[in-house]
Amino acid sequence: MSLSSLIYRLTGTLRTVERAFLLVLNGKYPPDNFRLCLDQLQPQENWNNSQINSHKGILEQILGDGFLFAVPKHRRTIEKRLKRKYGDPEYHMKILLPNKKLQVCNVCGDDHEPKTLCPTCYKKVIEETRAMQDAIQNELKLEPVEQEVVVMYEGEKDSKPEEFWKGKRIVEMEKPRPQWFSDNLLQKTTQKGAETSDVKPSNLG
Amino acid sequence: MNQAEVTKLISQLKISPPTRLRKFRTPRGPEGRLDTLRKTVTALVKHERLELNRARALEARMYTERLISDAIRYGDCHKTTMEMADYWLIEKQLVHKLFKVLVPRFENYNIACTRIFYVPRNMTDPRYSKAVLELRGNPYPSLVRDTSSNKNLIHNILLEEAKKAYRTKKYAEIAAKIDAVESTVGLENPTTTESDGNK
Repeated sequence: MSLSSLIYRLTGTLRTVERAFLLVLNGKYPPDNFRLCLDQLQPQENWNNSQINSHKGILEQILGDGFLFAVPKHRRTIEKRLKRKYGDPEYHMKILLPNKKLQVCNVCGDDHEPKTLCPTCYKKVIEETRAMQDAIQNELKLEPVEQEVVVMYEGEKDSKPEEFWKGKRIVEMEKPRPQWFSDNLLQKTTQKGAETSDVKPSNLG
Repeated sequence: MNQAEVTKLISQLKISPPTRLRKFRTPRGPEGRLDTLRKTVTALVKHERLELNRARALEARMYTERLISDAIRYGDCHKTTMEMADYWLIEKQLVHKLFKVLVPRFENYNIACTRIFYVPRNMTDPRYSKAVLELRGNPYPSLVRDTSSNKNLIHNILLEEAKKAYRTKKYAEIAAKIDAVESTVGLENPTTTESDGNK
């Protein structure tokens, strides 16, 4: 045990003894350390200050009825302050940054992030898809699904002969085909050759 | 070595499965995870195109691929395959669809029968990344643009060159025709042409 702690303990003990004596003599607890200090100052105050403040402590005189807030003890470094304000580029930036990873859609010209679909084209397609899915489910209901489903738009069913649709379940949409949704998807890629032997591109010269 | 080759015992998928399965937050543990995935697989077979959270889409894709490839490999007279179809397809009308529609459709495919696209993030709430999972050969409009009109494809380059050659030939013919007309007109009455020019 060091000397300082020994002295500290001794003073503590002395203070308790003193308190015990004062309690016996006065019949009440003595004022604490601050009060002791103030009691020494009191005669001077009585000469200088008014009678109202005479029985108050020095802290009470300064503060009145107010109270103290907790305040920072240490100064924050500039680095920490800036990181609190703006964030860290390696972890998380709080300020808004421009998104430089963007592509332009070749169809509609809208911007989108790489490896994702174009938002405008996707919205168009998925809305049409949902409409088609609803139409298909209304048609199929809970029967066993045994045939491929072909979705036809208004007035398309009569354009092809009956045999063309053999073995396929036809679902009709009650609206005309959207312009961007090509009809050619239903055609075969390899078609029968033309009958005329010599075909040149038209409207060229 | 009278042992079967282990890698050939199950059908090889045309997608690369991850090394570790994804966990989903369900209070019912692994069983609950499979239950949620069953719903997704059933919906995919039913609707053929779904918008899902990205992890769910990637996970459901593997189970759908496995189900379809087993159906192609073993057919509908195989007991285990039928049990798996019964387990994975909650709506039983889709068991018919699996064997009667999807198996003939994907029999000759050399590529995976599902396809996945990443959906653009919603910029007002960019936390969730979504994906579209679809079966190939569906009747819906295509999600990606048609690249057949790409000018750098070889047949398009050849057609472009053919057009150019045809044009030069045609221009030469026209020029020759004009020259011929001018020369004949000039021979017949040169004075008129000069007077026309003066006017």
